[in-house]
Amino acid sequence: MTYKYFLGCVIPGRLPYLEASARKTFEKLGMKVGDQANYSCCPDPTGAGQLDHLTWLALGARNLCLFEESNSNILSLCSGCTETLKAVKYSLEKDNKLKEEINSKLNSIGKKYKGNVEVKHFAQVLYENIDSIKKKVKKPLKDLKVASHPGCHYLRPSEIMQWDDPLVPKTLDELIEAIGADPVDYSLKIDCCGNPVEKSNKDISLLMLENKLKSMKDAGTDCIACVCPACYQQFEFNQKEVNKNSNTNYNFPVFYITELIALAFGMNAEEIGLKYHRVKTDEILQKIS
Amino acid sequence: MQMVNFDFKNEIIKEDFSLNYCYQCGTCSSICPVAFASEGEYNPRKIIEESLMGLKSLLIKEQKPNIWLCSTCQMCVEECPQEVFLTGIFESLKNKIVQTGEKYPEAFKVQAKAIIDNGVAISLSPPIIRRRKELKLPNVESADRIELKNLLKATNFEKKININGDR
Ligand code: SF4
Ligand code: SF4
Repeated sequence: MTYKYFLGCVIPGRLPYLEASARKTFEKLGMKVGDQANYSCCPDPTGAGQLDHLTWLALGARNLCLFEESNSNILSLCSGCTETLKAVKYSLEKDNKLKEEINSKLNSIGKKYKGNVEVKHFAQVLYENIDSIKKKVKKPLKDLKVASHPGCHYLRPSEIMQWDDPLVPKTLDELIEAIGADPVDYSLKIDCCGNPVEKSNKDISLLMLENKLKSMKDAGTDCIACVCPACYQQFEFNQKEVNKNSNTNYNFPVFYITELIALAFGMNAEEIGLKYHRVKTDEILQKIS
Repeated sequence: MQMVNFDFKNEIIKEDFSLNYCYQCGTCSSICPVAFASEGEYNPRKIIEESLMGLKSLLIKEQKPNIWLCSTCQMCVEECPQEVFLTGIFESLKNKIVQTGEKYPEAFKVQAKAIIDNGVAISLSPPIIRRRKELKLPNVESADRIELKNLLKATNFEKKININGDR
């Protein structure tokens, strides 16, 4: 099966170092993942679709078409994009009339959606290759306590996502174990980080983040592992805001799971751009060296 | 006591029939992280109740509870014993709010405008382009603007969402 990357907007436009770690990880696993030109915003499942469902379907279907035309499947680096692309595919598969309606819109740009494209979240592809990950580990991240944050759109709605358990997810923790680290069990693991609420109420968004951070802290974690750029930004950039609002002192280093895997594969901090992190990662690097 | 507005209720049900199955158990609100963080100010069960009653003015004009607070985390959808597709219902209500010209949060407009203008929610800035070079990442080719413009015209996006506030 051949894959091409769907990078989305946030990763290439704001967090390119996360992209670097993902590309290097897949390279190391011996997987050739191509690049696709011309795709647009997925569009954001928490944004554009809330304004007009039809436009969301049409833009999403156009993106699916591009990959379909080049006979490749989608490897998405973002949970939001994954959910949109999977949900659009699901909706058009379920409802032929809707598919015809969307195709009549796509016709205006000379495209037609057929339905022959698979969409996968990068963490799913990693999990499917967990045995070769284990084999490639050079520097197990021994004694590192990692709180995984699956995030919402990696899991739910399960009828559409068809991946992992929506309420008791295990894939990320198994990946963390595979690289020799200790997954941390914490009570709010499946809760939302609060990022989408920032669009309507920043204070509530920060309270949601604070609830998560507290739960992680109580469980004694050293750092946080994410698989979605929206969640990543919420944890990485907004811990400070929580501290300001609530007089707390959260300062957890936040990683994309591909960064941790790259480190365990023996790549160095420079190669994957760890210096771009806002919350410094030095202590973690020391701990695992 | 408020009377049921069947016309509006049926309008919502036309979008998603699962609304009918709600028996108001409150599971959705009890597991909703936004309801928890807002101490009940946000309340998905209540929005569903108002939908069952067809209370158009509360839902669309006054927006009480504030439907824009939903994080779309899909916990309610996962846990509802009646398989009510809450987020689908909320999405069609938000579409109605936007497309009847009622107020909605600015951040949604900003994102929509970015998509209309550039095809992406976040464009690559010069410092990010430099950073990509440093990291030896390939160029990102942006989407064909004319193609996108034509598609958005076909779905009538700009007009529908009242982006310039001229309604
Ligand atoms: S959980 Fe389902 S049935 Fe119960 S109140 Fe919420 S929508 Fe209604
Ligand atoms: S999807 Fe919205 S209403 Fe449902 S649980 Fe999440 S935040 Fe609450």
